[in-house]
Amino acid sequence: MIAEYTWLIPFIPMMCFLIIGIIGKKTPEKGGYIAIAGALSAFIISAAVSYEYLTGDAFDAGEAITSEIEWFQIGTYTMHLGYYVDGLTCAMMLFSSFISTLIFIYSLGYMHDQGERKNRYYAEVSLFLTGMLGLIVSSNFLELFIFWEVMGLCSYLLIGFWSFRHHDGDAASANAASAAKKAFLVTRMGDVCLMGGLFILLNQFGSLDYTTMFATAELVAEADPDMLTLGLLLMFGGVIGKSAQFPLHDWLPDAMAGPTTVSSLIHAATMVKAGVYLVARAFPIYVMDGNVMLFVGIIGGVTAFIAATMALNNMNIKKVLAYSTISQLGYMILALGAGGYLWSLGYYELGALGFFAGCFHMINHAFFKALLFMGSGSVIHGTGTEDMRLMGGLFKKMKITATTMLFGCLAIAGIPIFSGFWSKDLVIDAAMAAFEHGTADGATWFIILWVLAVITAFMTAFYMFRMWFMTFMGEPRENAQHCHGESPKTMTMPLVILAIFALISGLFMFVGLADMLPLHEGMELVTLDGMEEGIELFKNPYTYLTLILAIVGIVIAYLMYVKKTINPGKFNKFGESWLYKALTKRWWFPDLYNQISWKLGYGVAKGVNYIDRQIVDGTVNGLSSAVVGGGDAISKVQTGHVQDYSSIVLLGVAVLSVVVLLIVAQLGGL
Amino acid sequence: MDSEIITNIFGDLTPVATIIILAIGVLSFPAVQMFGKKHVVTWIYALVIALVALAVDIILLMSDYAGYYAGEDDMANWIVCNPYTLYMQLLFLTVLTITVFVCHSSIETTKNHSGAFYSLLFGATTGMLFVVTTYDLLTIFVGVELTSISSYAMVALKRKDGRASEAAVKYAIVGGMSTALTLYGISMVYGTTGTTDLILLQAIMFDGPPFTWLFAIGMICMIAGYGFKIAMVPFHMWAPDVYEGAATPVSMFLATASKKMGLGVFIQVFLFMFIMAKTQVCGEAFQYVFAILAAVTMTVGNIVAIAQTNIKRMLAYSSIAQAGYILIMMVVMTPEAEAAGLFHMFTHVFMKGGAFLIVGALICAGIGEKISDYKGLAKRAPLIAFAMMLFLFSLAGIPPLAGFTSKFFLFASAVGGPGDASAEWVWLALVAILNSAISLYYYARVVKAMYIEKGASTEKIKIPKPFLVAILVCVVFVIVLGVYPDLIFGYAEAAANATFGI
Repeated sequence: MIAEYTWLIPFIPMMCFLIIGIIGKKTPEKGGYIAIAGALSAFIISAAVSYEYLTGDAFDAGEAITSEIEWFQIGTYTMHLGYYVDGLTCAMMLFSSFISTLIFIYSLGYMHDQGERKNRYYAEVSLFLTGMLGLIVSSNFLELFIFWEVMGLCSYLLIGFWSFRHHDGDAASANAASAAKKAFLVTRMGDVCLMGGLFILLNQFGSLDYTTMFATAELVAEADPDMLTLGLLLMFGGVIGKSAQFPLHDWLPDAMAGPTTVSSLIHAATMVKAGVYLVARAFPIYVMDGNVMLFVGIIGGVTAFIAATMALNNMNIKKVLAYSTISQLGYMILALGAGGYLWSLGYYELGALGFFAGCFHMINHAFFKALLFMGSGSVIHGTGTEDMRLMGGLFKKMKITATTMLFGCLAIAGIPIFSGFWSKDLVIDAAMAAFEHGTADGATWFIILWVLAVITAFMTAFYMFRMWFMTFMGEPRENAQHCHGESPKTMTMPLVILAIFALISGLFMFVGLADMLPLHEGMELVTLDGMEEGIELFKNPYTYLTLILAIVGIVIAYLMYVKKTINPGKFNKFGESWLYKALTKRWWFPDLYNQISWKLGYGVAKGVNYIDRQIVDGTVNGLSSAVVGGGDAISKVQTGHVQDYSSIVLLGVAVLSVVVLLIVAQLGGL
Repeated sequence: MDSEIITNIFGDLTPVATIIILAIGVLSFPAVQMFGKKHVVTWIYALVIALVALAVDIILLMSDYAGYYAGEDDMANWIVCNPYTLYMQLLFLTVLTITVFVCHSSIETTKNHSGAFYSLLFGATTGMLFVVTTYDLLTIFVGVELTSISSYAMVALKRKDGRASEAAVKYAIVGGMSTALTLYGISMVYGTTGTTDLILLQAIMFDGPPFTWLFAIGMICMIAGYGFKIAMVPFHMWAPDVYEGAATPVSMFLATASKKMGLGVFIQVFLFMFIMAKTQVCGEAFQYVFAILAAVTMTVGNIVAIAQTNIKRMLAYSSIAQAGYILIMMVVMTPEAEAAGLFHMFTHVFMKGGAFLIVGALICAGIGEKISDYKGLAKRAPLIAFAMMLFLFSLAGIPPLAGFTSKFFLFASAVGGPGDASAEWVWLALVAILNSAISLYYYARVVKAMYIEKGASTEKIKIPKPFLVAILVCVVFVIVLGVYPDLIFGYAEAAANATFGI
């Protein structure tokens, strides 16, 4: 039984983290090979476990393999440590560990000139991978939460990796530092919601183990639907933070300040996928409340749209990709929301379609987004800039990078055969189905979301090809002129592998991926027929609508940036139109956050501190020092500080007495 | 383990064994200081005594010892030694040992009067040990005073710093006032019930308490008086001044041990009395009072901490907030909640103690107390910066560190089970969770200064060896208690059960 060794999957990268941390400096590439070996063994074990599970009896019966040991007990609650393997776990751990392995190999080339600091880099990415894999194989929400936080901590360290000495100077260092802090604090907002949600679920279910919770979800939902709604909403707050959904999406573009490999890791294999995974994992509980699922769908659809608009005019190659990630994550969340909504109304087949579309898009996105990021890393490596206005005409110099990235762009734009086509159209299908079968308000919402999703598909094709044309076609501009050619083998090899996956991963649907992700309806298993759904796509007129829109988007991009027959300046009044400014300012979200967090948060703290210290201490103190004419320590003591403290104590006693009086009166007297 | 080793030596006096050992120290330090030629002799002597007391306590704890000393007057409740007593004593003695261990190498603590200093330190600890051994309002009061008066003097002993004498005077005056309040409260309670024996009081509460306004005012005065000891808002004003002014090892001692003694008093006096009256108006009223106090304490502590620039003050406010979290046990009043509170007290020793140790060690190395002085520390002292990061993140409650586990226990106990009566405190758990989010903001600021901002110097820092050892011990416990809470939690549960008489 290999499945018994599932715990090794997060354990090996953790050991690698320790080994690299302790003796990594003495090994070649400062621990790079150890990190690769760790990720690769995690992938091999994942593959073995998946093979055993998928060919075993448990899978046929639609059950999960799970095993746990008692961790601790508090009151009536028992917390466990264990693993939980089902189809979703298998899919997640396979692509996470596989893509991470490729990213680590790529890092050998990309981080080669970083010297001593590579040691820190490889240690941290190993721990990062531990967080993700641990989160995937966890058997309960507490365990999941712990790994979730470990990942948050690592992202803080990795995004801030270049904060000490950025090769671009101090401004870039400061930028990295603030981006790291922002990522940490913003995702942490979500984490707090998640933790609150978990406590409410703990209160409702009396356990956080998946098996117990899934089995009793229905009973609990009947017993106290309001509390469950609150718990699920708070839990979704965690997803909003981690998966960069509206309105907490703003940290992800800033997180580009880290090394490109880290962005790739965060966007493709780990971190932001954790949020989507959480919704997919808790799907059996989420479907107990249709309204929550509607809310999930709305957040997803709005995010997909807003993020896509911000990508339209961005000049930074990595930021364009960052926005596209947020937008695609919105698609996944939208699909899960639509699916759950339909499920809660009793349309189990369609619900399963939404669920599958969300997970399927997550897997496809992992491949093509890793490819796109690493491709952009290769470009940045070659040109030394992230600004697309300084690139251009790179196709001749970087053939492999350009071709592989083209594959990625075709995939994300949803051109048939390429992976993104299949999953994205399933997502849009799910939104349509939710409109067709939904009840009054829900249906209205979902038709709006469907429109947003279709427009997003158009925008996606446009901005991705805008990026590709600006980078690889046209005349070579400044930095592109002294580009020294193709990147080393360690970097191009992973690109080629990922390009192949970007081409074929959509076809997994036809070879059993759909069977891998079954859902339970009571005792019944609901699975999709992948083949049928695939053929269905071609019978659906809406598929052709999105396809035509995507092609139009590509053509417009071509005319604007290669043929130059359309001048983009005309549309934005040369950067003067309010819309253009709004997009550059990211719809003023960063300013809003600054106002809220800095002005308000710090202001309140200052204010409370002021009252605590100054008004109470200071007025008397100031008066007295004016009188005494000197404010040395001893005179302070003699002039009121202490009296003030004492009067506060007495005031406190008085207030307490009043409080007791009021409470006792409220409770019905003595 | 067998407690016979100890009972053979101490006989009837076993319940007060640790107190006796420390008292011997208190009385003999000045003499040792006088005759021993070097300061280091006094230090080693003090360390040995602390370790012996710690060993005795651990042996008793592990052998599940329970007993009482009735004395000639047959006062059964005066000296009671149960798992709760031993658990709290373990906490105090751990702090004492760490403090003594680093005192000698700190430049802040006095060398010329080390005999007196150790006497005061051990005297304060003796008071704490005594407080948790007794169940009578008056004897508890005596123990608290022994600790308080020793503490005032200890703060003042950092004589060359004006801030220290200022802090000591403030501490003594406000402390004196709280003492007066406490005594006033005790006298009112005695006036209405005719006893100061807590076990009798508990029984009286069970029968339907004499809940007159006199009694209520007495309770409020006592809460205010002892609230001062745990720096509960609004009786917290002294804490930042005192922690800032005192020598850092003393600040650590006050923040970790002295505060826990106050919480011990809360358990022994208020929790003990009210568990029997939970269903009655007076019990319920005080549950709400504590809920308000807990929420206000944690919120004010966390919010004000954001605006601090001095790290000792920041830690002081964070300490206030932590007391707020622990007060949750007073609200929920279940054995689980008390066990969780006791466990959080223990993890707090290592995380807050560790943070203070680092501050103290860096002061010895010439680094200031401002948060801006910590810029670029990760380059200058990687190990110390990493340890600091662990302590701060543990305080913020980030898994898998000890602070997360103990907070999880606390909040889970507040949430209660399905259909549990205590489900009414879910809002308090949510307030507490929100507070841990706020707290991350100021902890992350220090981490950012250490790891991300550029320092003025990149010179390596050397800190005294004893500090390094003590910090490493704290790091080990912060991690181990996070992933293996059962190491201590079992004892915390036993202690809570002892309070509830289960």
